[in-house]
Amino acid sequence: MTQYFVKLRYYTGDALEEIKEGDLKSLGRKYRVQISYEKIENRQMKEGLLMEDTLDKQIEEISQEVITVSGDREGKFSDCIRALYKKYRCPRTVYSLLGSNEAGEKIAKGLMNIYGGW
Amino acid sequence: MTKVLALNGSFRKNGNTEILLKQALMGAESEGAQVEILRLTDYKIGPCRGCGLCLFRENVCQVKDDDVSFIFSKVNECDGVILGSPCYFLELTAVIKQLIDRCWILGHRIVKIKKPATVIVPYATRGWIPYISVQSNLLLNLMGLTKINEAAICTQGISEVVLDQEAMDLAYHMGKEIALAIREKDLTYKGEEGVCPSCHDWLVRILKDRKTVECPTCGVRGKLSMAGGKIRVKFEEKAWADNRFRPEVIYSHYTYHISPSKDYFLRTKEERKIKSQKYREYLPG
Repeated sequence: MTQYFVKLRYYTGDALEEIKEGDLKSLGRKYRVQISYEKIENRQMKEGLLMEDTLDKQIEEISQEVITVSGDREGKFSDCIRALYKKYRCPRTVYSLLGSNEAGEKIAKGLMNIYGGW
Repeated sequence: MTKVLALNGSFRKNGNTEILLKQALMGAESEGAQVEILRLTDYKIGPCRGCGLCLFRENVCQVKDDDVSFIFSKVNECDGVILGSPCYFLELTAVIKQLIDRCWILGHRIVKIKKPATVIVPYATRGWIPYISVQSNLLLNLMGLTKINEAAICTQGISEVVLDQEAMDLAYHMGKEIALAIREKDLTYKGEEGVCPSCHDWLVRILKDRKTVECPTCGVRGKLSMAGGKIRVKFEEKAWADNRFRPEVIYSHYTYHISPSKDYFLRTKEERKIKSQKYREYLPG
């Protein structure tokens, strides 16, 4: 059975609304997928701005919100990713799916090409 | 003494753009400004090589043998800018776009430099100018300038604009206006309000949900509605946080969308090398 596994990496300003764990759990139940959330925060207030030096840092270490989705039913998995994109919009960067498996990335990327225009 | 710099995106000597810019400079001079004009096509503005060095090593541009640094230094030295360009095909001329592409080197500028700018675009056929504000807004924003006015002036043959006294008066007024804006430190917008309250353009982009529209320049989203038989665009207050020219948004873009791409680039080095080999060998240039 194919396992679909994807990590969606949202950086500051990428998600159109606040990502709440409660909302993610609801989506997980609705689409019968495993879904988890991790927030990495390394920004520090400097000169009135929350700043961070991200050059020469590992992508996984910089400030971001990561939504991890996994499931073994392609249709449900796709529907969940689509719902996430509609709610938060697609992640913005070429490396926003880093850490996903091939099957999951293929679906997440395909849906980005449909919904990524906004 | 205040300095007003005109940037001319037209190749034509003493063509409509140059005449209108000089008329505007005369207006600025009447308010005591020191004036200068650069015809951009007289300078070498090479294409951006896309090497990324200016992004990953601050302020290092690989293009050493052209005049872009000189042009940007002139913008830095002046107190206000008048940008002029003809519109031939729906947008500004290629030299303006070439300069826009080179603005990566200024991309780390996250704070506006609080200088006013105004835009004058002569064009020939009504309705053939939809993208002129996108390009002028982009260039001015990337250079850290604040647009206080803009005018599109319908005129066609070389130097014909001198026959249009209203246009000549307007250009003169815009020159005076920018000198006054510098003197009074007044960066408020004095032109006709467009749909977007930030860049004052009339363009909106319909997004794929077919419910939302976006100012293509600022990236701010809103909703369309009809009121009194007129199309209305409503931008939510919170949407302004997404204006791509806000210092915080530019900072985030550089910090989270560009800088980490170096790590991704290095991680994919071997795979890229193998998969791109056949393209190096095919039709070698």
